[in-house]
Amino acid sequence: MTTIAATPGDFSHEGDHHDADHKPSFFARWFMSTNHKDIGTLYLIFAIMAGVIGGAISGLMRAELAEPGIQYLQTWATWHNSMAGQGAASLDEAYHMWNVLITAHGLIMVFFMVMPAMIGGFGNWFIPLMIGAPDMAFPRMNNVSFWLTAVAFVMLLGSSFVPGGTGLGAGTGWTVYAPLSTSGSIGPAVDMAIFSLHLAGAASILGAINFIATILNMRAPGMTLHKMPLFVWSVLVTAFLLLLALPVLAAAITMLLVDRNFGGAFFDAAAGGDPVLYQHLFWFFGHPEVYIMILPGFGMISQIVATFSRKPVFGYLGMAYAMVMIGVIGFVVWAHHMFTTGLSVNVKMYFTAATMVIAVPTGIKIFSWIATMWGGSISFKTPMLWALGFIFMFTVGGVTGVVLANGGIDDALHDTYYVVAHFHYVLSLGAVFSLFAGFYYWFPKMSGKMYNEFLGKLHFWVFFLGVNVLFFPMHFLGQSGMPRRIPDYPAAFAYFNQIASFGYVIMAAGVAIFLINIIYSLAAGRRAEGNPWGEGATTLEWTLTSPPPFHQFETLPHIK
Amino acid sequence: MGGVQPDKQRERRNKRVGIVMGGVALGMVGMGFASAPLYRLFCQVTGLNGTVSRAEASELDFSQAVKGQTIQVRFDANHRDDLPWDFKPEQTTDTATVGARDLAIFIAKNKSNRPVTGTATYNVTPAQAGKYFTKIQCFCFTQQTLQPGEQVRMPVIFYIDPKIATDPDTQSVEEITLSYTFYPVDPDKQGG
Amino acid sequence: MKSPKTLLIAFALALMPAAAGATVSPASAVPAEAAPKETAAPLPQPGEATDGSIATQPAAAVSDDGSLPGYTPMKPTAGIGMPQAEEVNFQEQFSENGKYAKNINSYILLPLCIVISLVVLALLFWVIVRFRRSANAEPSRTTHNTAIEVIWTLVPALILVGIAIPSIDLLAKQYDPAPAGAVTIKATGYQWYWGYSYPDNGGFEVISNMLPEDEAVARGEPYMLAADNRMVVPAGVPLRIQTTGADVIHSFAVPSLWFKLDAVPGRLNEKELTITKPGVYYGQCSELCGARHGFMPITVEALPPAQFAAWVRAQGGTMPGDEEAAPDAPATDAVPAEGGVSTSNPAALQQEAGQPGAATDVAE
Repeated sequence: MTTIAATPGDFSHEGDHHDADHKPSFFARWFMSTNHKDIGTLYLIFAIMAGVIGGAISGLMRAELAEPGIQYLQTWATWHNSMAGQGAASLDEAYHMWNVLITAHGLIMVFFMVMPAMIGGFGNWFIPLMIGAPDMAFPRMNNVSFWLTAVAFVMLLGSSFVPGGTGLGAGTGWTVYAPLSTSGSIGPAVDMAIFSLHLAGAASILGAINFIATILNMRAPGMTLHKMPLFVWSVLVTAFLLLLALPVLAAAITMLLVDRNFGGAFFDAAAGGDPVLYQHLFWFFGHPEVYIMILPGFGMISQIVATFSRKPVFGYLGMAYAMVMIGVIGFVVWAHHMFTTGLSVNVKMYFTAATMVIAVPTGIKIFSWIATMWGGSISFKTPMLWALGFIFMFTVGGVTGVVLANGGIDDALHDTYYVVAHFHYVLSLGAVFSLFAGFYYWFPKMSGKMYNEFLGKLHFWVFFLGVNVLFFPMHFLGQSGMPRRIPDYPAAFAYFNQIASFGYVIMAAGVAIFLINIIYSLAAGRRAEGNPWGEGATTLEWTLTSPPPFHQFETLPHIK
Repeated sequence: MGGVQPDKQRERRNKRVGIVMGGVALGMVGMGFASAPLYRLFCQVTGLNGTVSRAEASELDFSQAVKGQTIQVRFDANHRDDLPWDFKPEQTTDTATVGARDLAIFIAKNKSNRPVTGTATYNVTPAQAGKYFTKIQCFCFTQQTLQPGEQVRMPVIFYIDPKIATDPDTQSVEEITLSYTFYPVDPDKQGG
Repeated sequence: MKSPKTLLIAFALALMPAAAGATVSPASAVPAEAAPKETAAPLPQPGEATDGSIATQPAAAVSDDGSLPGYTPMKPTAGIGMPQAEEVNFQEQFSENGKYAKNINSYILLPLCIVISLVVLALLFWVIVRFRRSANAEPSRTTHNTAIEVIWTLVPALILVGIAIPSIDLLAKQYDPAPAGAVTIKATGYQWYWGYSYPDNGGFEVISNMLPEDEAVARGEPYMLAADNRMVVPAGVPLRIQTTGADVIHSFAVPSLWFKLDAVPGRLNEKELTITKPGVYYGQCSELCGARHGFMPITVEALPPAQFAAWVRAQGGTMPGDEEAAPDAPATDAVPAEGGVSTSNPAALQQEAGQPGAATDVAE
């Protein structure tokens, strides 16, 4: 449970006499870091950069889709070609570039923005602090994880400058379905992209092992599993999902490499393989992956709602085990991503029913957050605004998920913009809202400076408006039948596409406000106290100074 | 938990958790690779995805053949564009007696002026009928080499299990399609 | 905090893919050679078709509007079988299962989505107003209420059971196999066009490419949805739609028929479809299949059975019962190795020539 009676300063300065604040030189600190807080900071900076790149790519996509016809793609493809020393792009190369854009946007946002921010960034920063540990279990491995992720990102960006079939770059979609990714994409780009996923996957597996060891072994005396803050629970469940799901992705994409380069036929029907097997493997990873992206967000929202309601989380055990249940069910519903591949009727009925079951633990979480606020004394600081936005937007994304879970209904909606709308509501409005909530919540702790409240709230309202204008019309487009992953569309779809592109501009303005707020607050922000949120903030990180000492908890705190 | 533990003890425990979890990760990689043969096996056992069963004639009991109880069987032939063959069924459809052996002929002709080797994949639709559709003899079990201009008649002997009429999933099936796709044999490719 | 063995495992994990990748690079440096053989000569290449259209079929006997002797393409009806501007709902449905599915959404799922979202929104508004700090300075310490926790677990579960019943019923209906007499049409997905073959009608294949914008406009059809040669089917009778992929996975999808089925290479998929009304129904490929994924539309034209028969004959095909052949020994017996259709018919020859198989013969 999260009720810890401690006052700021209790633990933070006990280690002063042996260099609690001794910091290594710049290079050693940031490039060879073994300090969980520094590595967390690196991850957050990395994620913001990747998010800006991934968001810029979606800007290109929304610009091209703003009206029917091909407006800019060919110009961009020619420009892109010239960077790789090639001539003017044909229309086919322009179309291929579209596929490269959607692939890069998906991979970057999943593997290099959401995951590094949630698990690498906030996980690294706050898991040790929240459980009263001096650091992660394997600090050097932590460093390896980060730099593998960084190399993986460079590799992915690099893949867009080498041939990938019709044009430069990997244009397979983030799902990398065979045989489009094997016999359908000649050239090293797809190999590079797959290799990038290997590296990012290996980094995440190492990170997962680290978190599991840390949470199981490094808790301060008295911090039993059932007293852990929910954010710690969420990262523990996420780490197990990573550990079980990512190796399957690694195996699947290794088989792709073998099929591509070494004459393998795992997914090649010509030699007895089955392309649909790749989809089974991918989604066996891919579905837990979506929970990997949202569970830490659930954890953060629980902390924030409790803090700003000045009330402990309602139904703590239910909340913790709802996450465990979501994680477990997440492994047995994968084929709902494959409803149109020709599954037999019994298989489809099973996956329809199993998928709908997930709505139950998700509902428990939504209602428990509301019950936490019920009877509370709520203050509407920026993190709380994001948390409230999260709860509502995640509900909207959740109910469309129940629609899509119905195999018979999915026959119309599969691979349309309805699906795009659904997963952006749970990710771009769910996961990302929770990231912003967490960022504002912990920014004072991490930087020692208060963020600007006005800019934070402005950021929220502009972003909230922007993403809803951007993504809500996509439900209409999808119901009306617009397929995903197309650079041009029939004129009938023009109206809502234009609105969506307009929404993108609003959202981008929101992100700009966010970046301004960071810079302003770091430069001129008010000094933050150890606990700027008052009595509602009961977890251990608030007992330390802001920012915490370089080494904390050298004498372990005791939790009553 | 309880009690302050010495660092040494904690390190040992971390190491143990790390090793176990690393083992779990490696095990999942292994599971990923093992899934390829397991999936094929699973499909064969359950008829998932319209996977056809195979059997020797001696294993089957033809005594249950029900006179008059028939089912329509359709034959579908495809070949990859880079296989220079003509490939088609001799008959598009056939009325087969449930529980009895039946024969279908596919005709393949090499249209090129060099010997070409091909191999076929196959499935049946509707998918749920797969587990009751048994092939006793089929050209698809082996590679076929055709000399330039050569035309061959390739027989398939199959058998439809009478249980198809009692399984609620398949009792409304009135027509089964047996589909083949011929691929050129790439000497570099090995079965995965 | 050193634990060498664990780190060893960690590095092994990290390096395993690295090793695989390292051996990859030399092979992939020579893309042309590394390419699997299957893609070497996939199709008659459309040349540098910079307008996004492909011309795989010689346009010999076909006039500008796509008509053949005995067949004139049906004009589409605005708003039927195609998306409409500013449309927020599903397209009007023209199959029984489509109507049923759309009703499930309209009367069960959509209202439920709206009600749940509004309930959550209302609860949020209530707590925001009632329990804001200025209205409620002293927070309660309630953290448990078993009754309410049981309720908010069971009520959603019951709602889901309520959804599951019609949903499972819909699935069962969608998987009803086509009857023996159903008209079989096989849709083959190619990069990047569709081929529709009619095994019951002589086995000819219609190659269907996207119409360029000016031609689509000239024919009064929506650009990006209109195809030069349509998949013509009889209306009101059961169809057995089979799909397969020639190169990569495509997906045959028609929104106004609530129909979507992947076309997977090396295997045949099948589903029953009955189109309730004659008309033109448009769809698009719905699985990413490469550069021109967005430009391989599906145009289904459902005709009254008699007109369908006329169209089949105009294509050089046969209707079951035509000629002297018995139903289970159709015309294909006559010329088994030479194309399966009457070779005296120019249209049929033309269809044959349009087949990728014929074209690669030259390439080999």
